[in-house]
Amino acid sequence: MAIKSLHRRTFLRGLGGIAVGLPVLEIMLDRHGRALAGGGAMAKHFFVGFHGQAMGGDGDPEQDRYRPDTLGPNYDLKQATMPLGNYNDVRQQVSIISNLRIPYNNSGPGSWNTEFHLGAMPPLLCGVSNPDDSSACRGITADQVVANAIGAGTKFATGLQYNVQPSWYLTDSAPYGRDVISYKSDGAGGVVPNPGQTSPQAAFMALFQGFVPPDPTDALAAQRELARRKSVLDLVHGDIDRLMPRLSAADKIRMQRHLDEIRDLENRLAAIPPDAGGECMMYADPGADPPIGGNNAGTGGDGFDTNAGYSDEDTRARRFSDLVHMAFVCDLSRSVAMQYTMAQSHMSAFPFTGIPYDQHEVGHSVGTTDAVSQILAWQLDQFAYLVAKLRDTPEGAGSVLDNTAMVLLYEGGHGLDPATGDPNRTHSTENMIVTVAGRAGGMLAGHHLDGGGLHPVNVLNTAMRAVGVDEDLGEVVGIVPELLP
Amino acid sequence: MSRTCLAFTSLLVTLAGCYKGPPGASGDASADGTADGTASEGGSSGGTPEAPELGGVGQVGMRRLSVDEYDRTIADLLGDDTRPGATLLAEDVADPYDNQISNQQANRPLIEALEQLAGEITGRLLEDTARRDQVVGCQPAATGDEACMSEFTARFGRRALRRPLSDEEVARYVDLGLQFAADEDDFYAGVGVILRVFLQDPEFVYRVEVGTETDEPGVFRLSSFEVATRLSYFLWGTTPSDELLDRAEAGELATAEDVRAVAAEMIADERAMDRIDRFHSLWLGYYRLPHSAELTTAMRTETRMLLEKTIMQDQGDWRGMFSATGTFVNDFLAQHYGLPAPGSDAFSWVEYGDSGRAGLLSHGSFLSVAGKYGDTSPTQRGKIIRKRLFCQVIPPPPPDVNIDEPPPEVDSPCKIDRYNMSRIDGCSACHSLMDPVGFGLENYDQQGRFRTTDNGLPECVIEGSGEIDGQSFQGPAGLATLLAEEGLLDTCIVYQSYQFAMGHPVADDDQRYVDDLVTAFADGGYRFDELVLDLVGDEAFLYRREEEG
Repeated sequence: MAIKSLHRRTFLRGLGGIAVGLPVLEIMLDRHGRALAGGGAMAKHFFVGFHGQAMGGDGDPEQDRYRPDTLGPNYDLKQATMPLGNYNDVRQQVSIISNLRIPYNNSGPGSWNTEFHLGAMPPLLCGVSNPDDSSACRGITADQVVANAIGAGTKFATGLQYNVQPSWYLTDSAPYGRDVISYKSDGAGGVVPNPGQTSPQAAFMALFQGFVPPDPTDALAAQRELARRKSVLDLVHGDIDRLMPRLSAADKIRMQRHLDEIRDLENRLAAIPPDAGGECMMYADPGADPPIGGNNAGTGGDGFDTNAGYSDEDTRARRFSDLVHMAFVCDLSRSVAMQYTMAQSHMSAFPFTGIPYDQHEVGHSVGTTDAVSQILAWQLDQFAYLVAKLRDTPEGAGSVLDNTAMVLLYEGGHGLDPATGDPNRTHSTENMIVTVAGRAGGMLAGHHLDGGGLHPVNVLNTAMRAVGVDEDLGEVVGIVPELLP
Repeated sequence: MSRTCLAFTSLLVTLAGCYKGPPGASGDASADGTADGTASEGGSSGGTPEAPELGGVGQVGMRRLSVDEYDRTIADLLGDDTRPGATLLAEDVADPYDNQISNQQANRPLIEALEQLAGEITGRLLEDTARRDQVVGCQPAATGDEACMSEFTARFGRRALRRPLSDEEVARYVDLGLQFAADEDDFYAGVGVILRVFLQDPEFVYRVEVGTETDEPGVFRLSSFEVATRLSYFLWGTTPSDELLDRAEAGELATAEDVRAVAAEMIADERAMDRIDRFHSLWLGYYRLPHSAELTTAMRTETRMLLEKTIMQDQGDWRGMFSATGTFVNDFLAQHYGLPAPGSDAFSWVEYGDSGRAGLLSHGSFLSVAGKYGDTSPTQRGKIIRKRLFCQVIPPPPPDVNIDEPPPEVDSPCKIDRYNMSRIDGCSACHSLMDPVGFGLENYDQQGRFRTTDNGLPECVIEGSGEIDGQSFQGPAGLATLLAEEGLLDTCIVYQSYQFAMGHPVADDDQRYVDDLVTAFADGGYRFDELVLDLVGDEAFLYRREEEG
């Protein structure tokens, strides 16, 4: 994505808007460049990624090709983690925590029962047990805990949620929650799904709305456009208020949810325009999204149509990564949840692996840890790309990554499937791996750690602590101490 | 481990009572049934309207325009046929229909996309002066021409919100428009902001039904405009035309007979055929095929032409689609299937002869949708036939069965042997409901081509015989005959149509309505056009029941 440079503007321009995060300029820092002059800490940023993938192939005794042989720094790279050797050895920024597990058979905090694809995801995302293997979280997710704690004052105070995989790709079924990785409070004691934006184009426009172009004519046009949008929304808001009393009780609830989102948008438009300055700048418009690929009808093997079941997720992930990069650099949001692939993903694996099956069937039908590792490597390259961008963007005396905690979750591990009792299965939460990056709060980067059978949520808890949020997620208490020495 | 899959095939009745509306308390004393300031109408002249004597009024909540409905609506309102919604709105869940209220919760991606779309669509319109002038409908005499701004607002607003606007409402929008026209010294800047309001208005984004209270608590009589909207989105998948709104305003949609008469005119329009085609494609899952554009288009055309012939041209027994003795193909598709080529790129009727094909079940569209593990899946095909053609509920596998695993490896390379293996244990009860049905179509591969062996292996000769509920059959032709004899298809299609029309599966409250439709469908010789007319011509179509909390 090309970068469109913008002129620096004076701070505090646009008084009267609500407060919004601003990029860190050197003049604001103390002489060590580690904290803001005046004693405030630099803004921290939090990222949760999710990849609907387990570690090995069904029946393959080889557990994974991910976990390094050595513990500690300078760990060895495997087939799945090879991309971490790229981007100027981004491995030095990335820690791998292996030997994690989510309890099943309803045994313990943050557990599930036996039905893997629906059941195991909620405990992973929100740390709350899921005894009936339903697909929805009963608690809010880590990105929302963090947004609630440290998001205030930024333009996207409730965080950003992006979905790289935009379609379920199957006929005769629906994702039923397997596409949602963020859950938020409904404001009335309940928890509601918080689905991600599937269009990089829409996300681009939302993120950079309000940036002021350098050309005075363009700047005036942008100002007018902002005025139009605010006035239009104001009237729409009024229309909803007038309509509301006439609605049935159930429709009132629906419309209230709609209105809440309109209010959020109004707040974002009212925020002081993000000021280009320092490293904060607007990317050039990436243009139209790659088209949504057709359903693959579970196809694999001979006659597999390589155009089906794929929406160029490769390009979509890059575009979203660029947006996350600038969201953090410009401090537009402090918390991001990014779904790379859905749980039980039926995206075609062919375009990036040459394997003529969808992602889910690679695990089951191809059934080799070799094949699965190719999918893991594809996604890890996307993650590495984003980590490297944040690392290569200076902030204070270090980089944006130094003030960021990133967690990459995988849907499954490799081992016992409690539904069948069979070993070496993809439908397993044994031997899970969570990968992290960033040095916020002193988080340990570039190491391979043995998780000692802890819950993946213990890693999330650690990353939350690293950005200053002293809370546990759901029922899972505590951190991975070595990760936050 | 001992496992049992109880072989109960819950029939249609199981569907009833499954549906429960979203949570929320019922009862809303403040619902007065009229848009603020608009003329009160809707078939009642003073007093409280009566609820329909026969009941059957289902619970309905406000429904968001599906992406497809949004794009068609934008095309009709503004002449913008770029299908912009499909580019920015999240895909609708096909469950199996794309318009089910349970999948329509508002969220940030929706709001962001609607706002951006409003700006883009408006910008595109204002750049195209010919189209712009047509939408605005008057030539402004000056930047601040209030008369023209008001005329445009009242006329366009009625189309966009599907009801007349009150003077007070018009004034509110016009004030905003004139303010921006003055600020930017451009009349059309004012038009632009008004358009953007309409394109994000709750009454545009949602089909809001309020209605008037009746003598039965919780049952509301819809206004004529609300009826027109129900009618238009069901029959045409788009917003009511000016003409339909005129008829609503003139009281021509006041009774069930009126509605049926208007619908009879609408169903003759090409847009109704588009909608019927879309319904069938969602019903059987072929709305999106995993093939090249050329093959996809050819298969869709083939099926659409059969639908059109059966429903519109012959106005015959809809079930005949499954037993049709020929099909519409062009040379490309004929060659693909191995049928005699008609000698043209245009589609024309070719008889199947003794090929073993018959009707829709031998179309590539249908045969493409239910595969698994790199080949056809007899289980998946059997399942879709049970679920969609018979409306039967296949019980989910017991929790200790991993449905994602392919059938176990056995010595034989032939599929039928592997499947027989999987049916020797506790799974047999369930799989025997699906697999034998699918095996009856095994001579047709996942692109609908005839084959005699499994994966080209000469030792795996496909017999192509299937069995359903104790009766054996051979191929699509045989299955079609059994479909007719089983007598489930005709009831099932009524349930499916109703679900598509109302945005939710049939529930207890809907039962009388649906039962009557089933009876009328049979009595009338199973004409699909008549089914549609009966559906919109029922008294209950004019009412809604408030959702229970």
